[in-house]
Amino acid sequence: MQKNELCRLLNIEFPILQGGMAWVATGELAAAVSLAGGLGIIGAGQSPADLIEREINKIQNLTDKPFGVNIMLLSPYAEDIIELVLDKEVPIVTTGAGNPGKYMDNFKRKGIKVIPVVASVALARRLEKQGVDAIIAEGMESGGHVGDITTMVLVPQVAQAVKVPVIAAGGIADGRGLAAALALGAKGVQMGTRFICAEECTVHQNYKDMVLKAKDRDTVITGRTTGHPVRIIKNKLSRLIDQMEAQGTTKEEIENMGVGRLRAVVKEGDTAMGSVMAGQSSAMVETIEPAGDIVRQVMAQACEIMNNHWELNQSCCRENK
Amino acid sequence: MDIFAKVKEMIVEQLGVEEEEVKKETAFKDLNADSLDIVELVMAMEEEFDLEISDEQVEKIKTVGDVIQYLEANV
Repeated sequence: MQKNELCRLLNIEFPILQGGMAWVATGELAAAVSLAGGLGIIGAGQSPADLIEREINKIQNLTDKPFGVNIMLLSPYAEDIIELVLDKEVPIVTTGAGNPGKYMDNFKRKGIKVIPVVASVALARRLEKQGVDAIIAEGMESGGHVGDITTMVLVPQVAQAVKVPVIAAGGIADGRGLAAALALGAKGVQMGTRFICAEECTVHQNYKDMVLKAKDRDTVITGRTTGHPVRIIKNKLSRLIDQMEAQGTTKEEIENMGVGRLRAVVKEGDTAMGSVMAGQSSAMVETIEPAGDIVRQVMAQACEIMNNHWELNQSCCRENK
Repeated sequence: MDIFAKVKEMIVEQLGVEEEEVKKETAFKDLNADSLDIVELVMAMEEEFDLEISDEQVEKIKTVGDVIQYLEANV
């Protein structure tokens, strides 16, 4: 059952985490992933604590398996969410958009595992010193807020720089991605985009259709000039923001343009002016299926690939020694 | 040790800016440094000066002078 270092750390069966996407990663989705042996994560985004408490209750009513909550540290409600997570003794916390350092002692006292999402080697090293349990190294292929390094080059560098287990994220949507991540030095993966198209994901059907339809070049990074770039699927909104940026519109105006746009696509299915956050791996997502099937397929495909390479290892590598 | 000279050298190297651009009153944002650049600099300075700079301190860093002041008080 306890298959590698990461599985043992998180007490899960498969080293597959479901990204804590704001508005998208609800209790229903996270429960389905955890039930299948992966790690489901609720996305707190910028929601107030009472809404997230409801999501936590949903999952706790459905399963005793481990799950996580992603805390967006820039959220105005971040402190409330941290209180809630401590109070509910949520087993695992992932963090984004900042440095969880000052809350570490509180989490540790409750035995909560802390896993920050990072996009640079220096931040990974700094957070390891502060006692985080693992690190999610997220490349710029991912959806939503992005850094500027690709998964392919970020993961091996972070894996080399820290001793705690590294989880690769960004551009991973299937077993090929998991096998590749393991080869790069990660102990597991986090996938977001693929789980948008899980049956249990409660987003508007238009959002799912947009992800299913997307081809290799259909996502773009918007809002670079604001200092908080966001990857979304190309639409009217992305074109408008591009225009605003080209015309030198102020950072504030561009940020205002983005307010409430994610909610618009999640709840109302506004794919023209909504912020359709999704990663480059959208192009590899082809069907809507139960989250548990996704977890099992990803693991099975990765195992098959590793077995194929085992043959290569047996024949070539030994001969060449 | 001339802390300012060392810090200037590190900033020039890490951020790829010109020496003349780095003055005590220069704000890091005017050197186009984002939060990840600051983390990188802080890590390098911790190693160079063999001390720890807490996250609370890091949050307060806005200008080159802020860094110098902290280092002068703590090295």
